[in-house]
Amino acid sequence: MSFRGTTTLLSRATRIKSKLQSSLEATVLELDDVSYQHAGHAAMKESSEKETHFNLKIVSDKFEGQSLVKRHRMVYDLLSDELQSGLHALSIVAKTPKEITPHAK
Amino acid sequence: MATILFKGIAARSLTSRLTSSCYYGMRYSTKVSNDPDTHDDFKPANKLENSATSLSDIVEQDVKDNPVMLYMKGVPDFPQCGFSSLAVKVLKQYDVPLSARNILEDPELKNACKSLQFLLFLTENLLQLISSHWPTFPQVFIKGEFIGGSDIVLNMHQTGELKEKLKDIVPKQ
Repeated sequence: MSFRGTTTLLSRATRIKSKLQSSLEATVLELDDVSYQHAGHAAMKESSEKETHFNLKIVSDKFEGQSLVKRHRMVYDLLSDELQSGLHALSIVAKTPKEITPHAK
Repeated sequence: MATILFKGIAARSLTSRLTSSCYYGMRYSTKVSNDPDTHDDFKPANKLENSATSLSDIVEQDVKDNPVMLYMKGVPDFPQCGFSSLAVKVLKQYDVPLSARNILEDPELKNACKSLQFLLFLTENLLQLISSHWPTFPQVFIKGEFIGGSDIVLNMHQTGELKEKLKDIVPKQ
């Protein structure tokens, strides 16, 4: 963590990725900034934040045996700082490695 | 619970700071303290705790009375956010009654947070805290159980789980 002091200078996307990656040991982690799609909507009009909406696809062993609600909560819990500082919404696809590999029998 | 209290205290100290630094606040607070007949209802004490309780009471009652209950931005026929819109669209595929509160406008929710009306965003935060510990909207409840947001509703629709959950709900007339 030699760059800790500069954390706030990193983009939100970078912070989200590193938080999820380090805690959930994701094997797949795709994050798309879709803020532009929401730029005009009611809650965003007064906001100067740029990175507000993301689509997230994450694959992690740690989701094994967890319900969808639980998986989403795990992600939200890790990102609570971001949610309180202007991250408005996340669309989450959370899977386990088993769930994405085609069923080999 | 600790978080609720903490938030309450934090918001209250913010409130008092705001009123004491603004002209109207000073004028009214002087009046109140000089008036021995002030009714209990108008005393400033514990307003936050009370509003928090009644807010959670509202949610509790809502999810008890309505088999499918949504807290959303906008109303089902005119959602004001893409995610709320998606959740409504999915749920409308089923022949069940939808009940919803517009978290941006609902008079009862607003009333529950009356003392904080000028800090409207707190309405949203309190609701998030009390109803389901979920940071975003919409929030969908089915038969009193918190289901999740629009991603989860869509996913359950695709897997057939939603149909299963909704099957014993009396269809709407």
